[in-house]
Amino acid sequence: MANANPPVVVAQEIGQVGRNFLREVGSVFWFIAHTFEETLERIQHGRVPFRAASFFRHTERAGVDSVPLVGLVSFFLGLTMALLTGYQLQRFGTERLIPGLVAIGFTRELGPLITGIMLAARIGAAFTAELGTMQVSEEVEAIEAMGIGPLRFLVAPRILALFLLMPCLSTVSNMAAIFASSLVCKAYFSIAFVYFLDLVKDALLIRDIVTGVLKSLLFGLLIGAIACYRGLTVKGGAAGVGTSTTSSVVTAITAVIGFDTLYNIVYTVFFPA
Amino acid sequence: MVELRDVRIQFEEKKVLDGFSLKVDPQERLVIMGQTGSGKSTILRLILGTLQPSGGSIFFKQFEITKLQRRKLQQVRRHIGMVYQYSALLSSRDVRDNVALPLEELTDKSRSEIDKIVDEKLDLVGMKDSKDLLPSELSGGMRKRVSIARSLVLEPELILLDEPSAGLDPVIASVIDELIISLTEKSNVTSITVTHEMDSAFRIATRMAMLYQGKVIEEAEPEKFKESENPVVAQFLSGSTEGPILEDSQDAIAKK
Repeated sequence: MANANPPVVVAQEIGQVGRNFLREVGSVFWFIAHTFEETLERIQHGRVPFRAASFFRHTERAGVDSVPLVGLVSFFLGLTMALLTGYQLQRFGTERLIPGLVAIGFTRELGPLITGIMLAARIGAAFTAELGTMQVSEEVEAIEAMGIGPLRFLVAPRILALFLLMPCLSTVSNMAAIFASSLVCKAYFSIAFVYFLDLVKDALLIRDIVTGVLKSLLFGLLIGAIACYRGLTVKGGAAGVGTSTTSSVVTAITAVIGFDTLYNIVYTVFFPA
Repeated sequence: MVELRDVRIQFEEKKVLDGFSLKVDPQERLVIMGQTGSGKSTILRLILGTLQPSGGSIFFKQFEITKLQRRKLQQVRRHIGMVYQYSALLSSRDVRDNVALPLEELTDKSRSEIDKIVDEKLDLVGMKDSKDLLPSELSGGMRKRVSIARSLVLEPELILLDEPSAGLDPVIASVIDELIISLTEKSNVTSITVTHEMDSAFRIATRMAMLYQGKVIEEAEPEKFKESENPVVAQFLSGSTEGPILEDSQDAIAKK
């Protein structure tokens, strides 16, 4: 090792990290595919894949209980965004652009992104810790041993809850931010509420809303899958649950930001305005 | 009913089972004994198909477990009940829901039919009055009994029990042992129990097997097993500190 060529060692390290990264990405996609397959199989046999009560419990926790946090953070971000952009635009006499800027910014980008980051931290961590604890206490194995598919029983309702709730929460985020910016516009830039709404309606296009909804669905799927995958692959008892929970949040947030960038690049290249 | 042929499995460098073969006949109560960490629980997981061996074959009735597709394996598992060492009850569900889970998920029975079966099974294990309690509110022995009730709820043909009396006081351990005997006799169920608790093993077994260094080194009915001339079995049964078991362990440590 002492004679090892430093650039070679660095290249090997990078290669190792790259290989691990690709393996993890592949595993998460297989995990989603297997969950989908197990759930569909169950439906094909004319049975519900999971109980409605289980699904609604997760939607309540992931969705309804997240509304105050998402709303509040987005409200403050909307205030800040309107104030900062407003003072810059005022110098050129174009402060009437604030409503459109905040509306488009949040609907297309910040709403889904902020909601994704908050859900990854709040719900992703909870899912990983919950499933991880079940894994180390042999509960998951017991479910499997009974002949019950753990993916459709434990994972599918969680992923579906996040998948369906993300667009709703993004909408809450958008509305909170737009409402906050309307307050700033009224208080500092003398833009009346009615005029503010007209400006928002003029600026927002259907494609902005569709983009935001599609991103939200994608982020919901990613956060749910990563959180559940990390939970079910926990090893090493309580310490393992802690490590996996941290890893789940970091991976989910990174994935959300990474996929957001990728989405924007693809969208801009293939569907230019 | 169950047959393991030349099964091999290793975890990293450690060979756990190395050419392990065993046959279990219907309605037998086989007890597999062995040291801690010798691979006893691994055998149960291999039979269930939650672990894959690196070699050999495992049969449950006419099915070769190691070659079954996931869906078929799930169907076969419905005929096998498993009682885990630490019970593995779902902590977020009460006793009733834990026992009802396989029925709710795998059968088309109505709520009232499920309730009737759950009551019946909980009654069998003496836990009917505790069905609204959460696993965290139960003692170790009570959890074990609920776990046994859950394993019986689909009327399995085979029950696998992982250290059923470990960590329990002698009286409760006897209660669990008697419960296993009466349930298997009443329902004509075959059982495989792994344990290193001597009293329990001799109480439950109709046949015993000793696992040592990845292989079965002795297999006999309890009375004959007690009189085994195999030095490893003799040392294990007597609990003596002198004999091949410790010598082999020390050799292994010295080799490392």
